[in-house]
Amino acid sequence: MFEGIAQGFQVAFSWEAILFIFIGVFVGTIIGMIPGLGPISAIAIMIPVTYSMDPTIALVMMAGVYYGSMYGGSTSSILLNAPGVAGTVAASFDGYPMAQQGKAGKALAISAIASFVGGTVSVILLMLFAPVLASVAIIFGPPEYFALMLLGLTAIASLSEGSTIKALISAVLGFMIVTIGIDAQTGTSRFTFGSVNLLDGVDFLVIALGVCAIAEVCFLILNRKQKLSGLHNIGSLKLTKEDFKEMKGPMTRQSFIGFILGVLPGAGATISSFVAYISEKKMAKNPEEFGKGSIKGLTAPETANNAATSGAFVPLLSLGIPGSGTTAVMLGAFLVLGVQPGPLLMTENPTVFWGIIVSMYLGNVFLLILNLPLIPYFVKILKVPRPLLISLVIISSLIGVYAVSFSTFDLYLLVVFGIIGYLMRIFAFPAAPFILAFILGGMMENALRQSLTISGGSWDIFFTSPLTLSLFALTIIAIVVPAWRDRVKRRKGKDTPLGL
Amino acid sequence: MSRKLFVLMIIGLLLLTGCTMPVQTGSINAAGEWEPDRSIEVIAPSAAGGGWDTTARMLARTIDEENLSDQGFGVVNKPGGGGAVGWAYIHKRNDPHNLFISSPPIHFVKQNGQSPYGYDDFTPIANLIADYGAFAVRDDARWDTLGELFEEMKESPENITVVGNSSPGSMDHMQFIMFADAAGVDITKIRYVSDQEGGAMTGVLNGSIDVISTGVLDAAEQARAGKMKVLGITAPERLKGDEFLETLPTGREQGIDAEFIVWRGIFGPPDMTEEQLTYYEDIIKETSESEAFADIRNRYGWDERFMDSEEFKDFLDEQSVEIEALLKELGFITE
Repeated sequence: MFEGIAQGFQVAFSWEAILFIFIGVFVGTIIGMIPGLGPISAIAIMIPVTYSMDPTIALVMMAGVYYGSMYGGSTSSILLNAPGVAGTVAASFDGYPMAQQGKAGKALAISAIASFVGGTVSVILLMLFAPVLASVAIIFGPPEYFALMLLGLTAIASLSEGSTIKALISAVLGFMIVTIGIDAQTGTSRFTFGSVNLLDGVDFLVIALGVCAIAEVCFLILNRKQKLSGLHNIGSLKLTKEDFKEMKGPMTRQSFIGFILGVLPGAGATISSFVAYISEKKMAKNPEEFGKGSIKGLTAPETANNAATSGAFVPLLSLGIPGSGTTAVMLGAFLVLGVQPGPLLMTENPTVFWGIIVSMYLGNVFLLILNLPLIPYFVKILKVPRPLLISLVIISSLIGVYAVSFSTFDLYLLVVFGIIGYLMRIFAFPAAPFILAFILGGMMENALRQSLTISGGSWDIFFTSPLTLSLFALTIIAIVVPAWRDRVKRRKGKDTPLGL
Repeated sequence: MSRKLFVLMIIGLLLLTGCTMPVQTGSINAAGEWEPDRSIEVIAPSAAGGGWDTTARMLARTIDEENLSDQGFGVVNKPGGGGAVGWAYIHKRNDPHNLFISSPPIHFVKQNGQSPYGYDDFTPIANLIADYGAFAVRDDARWDTLGELFEEMKESPENITVVGNSSPGSMDHMQFIMFADAAGVDITKIRYVSDQEGGAMTGVLNGSIDVISTGVLDAAEQARAGKMKVLGITAPERLKGDEFLETLPTGREQGIDAEFIVWRGIFGPPDMTEEQLTYYEDIIKETSESEAFADIRNRYGWDERFMDSEEFKDFLDEQSVEIEALLKELGFITE
């Protein structure tokens, strides 16, 4: 193994590799930053470039594109509320409010440092434990995934400001939308109204950009007379000692949690960023700050999603199993180069295996030194006159959606969801539960029905494995404890709105 | 400065998306041969990086590098609906400068009612390569041959779960059904789980699912590492060229009279003239025979299987009938 690591260093520290790692992370950050474009588009755009390259160098570059775009993706989430990938949605919960308060520079600096820490810690973990982790990646079967998704859903309560009923209605709406398309377990098309365009269901980007970016734009247009002093204010990007103190806890915890969730195929960056957000909110002394520009609330998902991105390389490299839509495209990039990831990659192709892992150190360092000095320039985008900025967001959202689906139908859908998102906003239905339910709903339904097919319809399958039982127990704790705490607080006479 | 940046960004973004060309028909030259008006668009009806996309790109690259055509061949991705979106596009345009790559899913998607267009709505130009399916179990499973597995399935089909990456009624499911049917298993009782998120292999490796039905290379990679055993592959005879792949038994040699070829071929729009067809057929034949493409086949583990338009069409008719009968028996097609 040490020989392998040494080979990896040799590969990653060659001049050619260093150059292409840099190109990879640079292109990745830039594409990721464009609102609406995320890792999937970034990798897909770069695949044809690699056709005539040396496979190892090409893969090192593609890995850079992948985590680089994850890194850059949070910029558009924070500055414009336009996430390009599910993993950066949670970063907008506190990042966007910070930007609106005139602390955009600081928000980006926090995001860059948190991402760097999450990325680096997880690469170290990846290097130390990659051979062992392959067996961790497969411990989850369908029943365990169902239990994990259920735990993820408890976040709905945490994400709702104000009325819990409205949050639940939002979530149900998300569940309903995700049932559109070909049902994976029977092959029947559901709610497609005979349209070919709906067979694949509604794409995540359409939902995220619709209810976040387009809805926000509608809001800005209709309230254009209202002065948003903060938005044009960029603020300093210097972090104080207190800021670092705030960040320390979430960065340490979420590097590990994010990495482990990233290792599980199917869970990945999205779930880990939400889990990071809610767990930090539950642990925080002042949870009411979350959603209003909390430093912890931004640090947690940013650390976790980057940690999970490295974690996702475990099942991909050591098992040949793509854990998400993005890693599936990544797997495609491997196959195109004639490299078959799987249990043999480490022994038969150690230069590729360790080369990629070691290159991620360098990549993370590059990202940090590339991003920090450029933040003052990135935030200038907010100084663009508002009419221009609004049109920029609209256009790049449209392009982002089109670049993934190549379908004009999806553009109409984007507008529809933009209107839905705006209406939800006016009537104070929170958007986060809607998006969360949409992300989790599909996986949860699949896991439920796969489990029941395996068991022949018997529900016992959910109560036989210790893992599912512990996840269910955590779910119950996540629901009961906050409610109980609220009750205790109220008895003590402290005023806490329960929402119901 | 920021305004300039903004304009540059917009221009950059616009460059990322393509523009649609007008429909053209080409012309016939003095020698009676068809000549295209412009470059040829090879559609991969999937996202970049998949099997269709790789085949399309390798085809285009070989044609370009070996100078097999005066015109450029460019690959365009039209993902959606398991191919249905790309097919609808070609059918509507009906332009002889548009080709597409396809494989067995074109049968399944059409017959399951997910696309109005099937293979017979287009012009089969030629088949290029073949790939095969495989059925694998965990290394410590109690079955060592397909025969043993199917024997147990005959008696108690409810004990065994099969998983694949595609939805029921589609490729991974149906290749297994074909073999089970040939072995005499009651195919209506087979428990099939679909996992499109990469959980199929996970499920078999952690023991929650018994059998995976997938592509040969996928299964072989796990088998090579000693994590799984391949009970049988769907090729008509053993694979050649790789020491390990040669050891994988076919269904036929285990007494199961079935085969399933995962062909990958090139189709054109519905109304193609004789001359247009010949033009493309020749180019693809030359590609298939070139040394450059032989290297590509080796690199990706593809089998050489050129079929000209006529042979390809007969083959497709036959495969389609066989699939339709099984889908009817399973209740996916109701009359």
